[in-house]
Amino acid sequence: MQLIENLRLAFTSLLANKMRALLTMLGIIIGISAVILITTIGTSIQKTLTNTFNSLGNFNIFTVDVWLNENDDGEGFIESEMISREMIDEVIAMYPGQFSLEMSQSGGTVTTQNENGDVITMDITGVMDVVPAADHLRGRTIQYKDSQNKKNAIYVTDLFVRQYFPEGADPIGQTVNLTFENGVSADFTIVGYDKLPKIYEKKFAPGTKEIDKTTPAAVPLDSLLSILHQEIRPNDRVYIRYNTDYDMETMQQELQEFFDEKYAEYPRYYITVRDQQSELGMINTVINIVTIAISVIAAISLIVGGVGVMNIMLVSITERTKEIGIRKALGAQNSAIRLQFVVEAIMICLIGGVIGILLGIFGGMAIGWIAKLLVEQFYAEYAELIAITIQPSIPAILVAVFFSILTGVFFGYYPANKAAHMNPIDALRYD
Amino acid sequence: MSKTVISMRGIIKRYYIGKPNELQILNGIDLDVQEGEFLSIVGQSGSGKSTLMNMIGALDRPTEGTYCLNGVDISTLNDVELSRIRNKEIGFVFQTFNLISRTSALKNVEMPMMYAGIPRKERLRRAEELLAIVDMADRADHQPNELSGGQKQRVAIARAMANHPSILLADEPTGALDSKTGRLIMDLFHKLHREEGTTIVLITHSNELAAETERIVTISDGSIIGDTGVKADAAD
Repeated sequence: MQLIENLRLAFTSLLANKMRALLTMLGIIIGISAVILITTIGTSIQKTLTNTFNSLGNFNIFTVDVWLNENDDGEGFIESEMISREMIDEVIAMYPGQFSLEMSQSGGTVTTQNENGDVITMDITGVMDVVPAADHLRGRTIQYKDSQNKKNAIYVTDLFVRQYFPEGADPIGQTVNLTFENGVSADFTIVGYDKLPKIYEKKFAPGTKEIDKTTPAAVPLDSLLSILHQEIRPNDRVYIRYNTDYDMETMQQELQEFFDEKYAEYPRYYITVRDQQSELGMINTVINIVTIAISVIAAISLIVGGVGVMNIMLVSITERTKEIGIRKALGAQNSAIRLQFVVEAIMICLIGGVIGILLGIFGGMAIGWIAKLLVEQFYAEYAELIAITIQPSIPAILVAVFFSILTGVFFGYYPANKAAHMNPIDALRYD
Repeated sequence: MSKTVISMRGIIKRYYIGKPNELQILNGIDLDVQEGEFLSIVGQSGSGKSTLMNMIGALDRPTEGTYCLNGVDISTLNDVELSRIRNKEIGFVFQTFNLISRTSALKNVEMPMMYAGIPRKERLRRAEELLAIVDMADRADHQPNELSGGQKQRVAIARAMANHPSILLADEPTGALDSKTGRLIMDLFHKLHREEGTTIVLITHSNELAAETERIVTISDGSIIGDTGVKADAAD
């Protein structure tokens, strides 16, 4: 009950000296807002990275690279010595159901005709495995087994479904006859479709009729290659997708051993196996450390702010000596006077802290907004992929509130205690 | 025989004890005040009456001697207990009113009750009642700087009465007022004394004001030099 009374009292006292209260709070506001701004930027970068990686869908991927040794004689990479299809198939056979080769190749354009005789064009890509983009998928994506079985499966977009089928028809399981650039025709069964990516929509010239729009489509890589009479050529980099139900570190180590053994006969090269997830984890750790370090530096300004609060509290109790004397004459105990001024100091710091938190969050949002504009301006083609997310750090906000209160108690206690121990007779006589 | 409220025996107050400029302000005061008395303590400036008032008001402890307030020896109490005594037993009325600025009349009257831990509703009811007694009910929401001197003093008297104190201790209550307003304040004291039976100790340098009270104690150089005792004609 006394606490509520004191809160009201402190509030009235702050209102009576608005300008002074605000200036006193300024140190706290700057300190807290700096910490919140920095942590907001830190967590936002992390969140953006994670979201972007996730939206790309290739998160659980090992990147296997062939590198030349530094003291190489200058012959460079020799294609026959690069990572071959056979090596990959061996790896995949090592862990049934755990690995798939992440590889794609363009197959040019294909054409087909709908019931009305309209010619529809598609950009065809041969893929090994497609991770669904989560939200709008109907049916399923192309999977590794489709490629192994050289199955004539096709994965299309909702635009193609509208172009090819009458409204309301279920396209999944339907067969489409495709004509490839080399003149070969083949029947492909639709296994699934997804919403046309927005990034693709931007490629169409304005005013293009829907029927004339060329949409992307995916077929199993091996099916495409056999139609085009092509083979996968050895490469210095391959991507291997893994399932998450296996220990990633063991896998990575075993892959490294596998390739080291394969390349034992080619001492000119060395092999690295990197994992994107652990790389992201490392980036996150670095960002965390930097965020914490800068936050601690910013928090030093809180001490400066706290000293400001103490200074003003000392001025305030001197100004209000008479009031303290009156309160004591009316029966206020020392503890009541102390509480009154500590609550006032806490209120200054807490209000300053809350203003600082809001400023920090708004500042973070403003920076995120500017970043978004810059990306859209200069990297328009990636804008769809980079999911900028503003994420204020909740723990940082809680810590900030706690520290505001702590600052108030710490720097308010000395002046409050001084007020509490004033001699009532002297205080009453004070002018 | 009515109850003894104040019982002082051999009160001595010294300042700067042990230093070359040691000063003895009170030289052994003996004073008894019965419940319901209206008493004035008269003396020139420097006579020690303010120090005596601080002592009676439990703002200060005597260096020597005993002071019993309602039978409790307060010269031995600690700060917390003294605060309680000031809160419950003493009602101060000051020359300069000493209302808390930027705080409404009502809140000022509530304040001693707040420190006594009386619930908010009860406080509010009592404060309104007190303001009505001093005829200030219509100014309850006014802040001290919106009130005249006389009005401030009436609010201060209402505040002093808040916790039903044993003594109303008034230090030159009319000293900062013009004679007409001072008259009204004195009338208010008489009314409180008559109607509420309040024990009032009035500290003043004015013999004229002192003559209005039932009993006059004269103090000079830290000693009581005159005590009329309760005048039969005033104690009606």
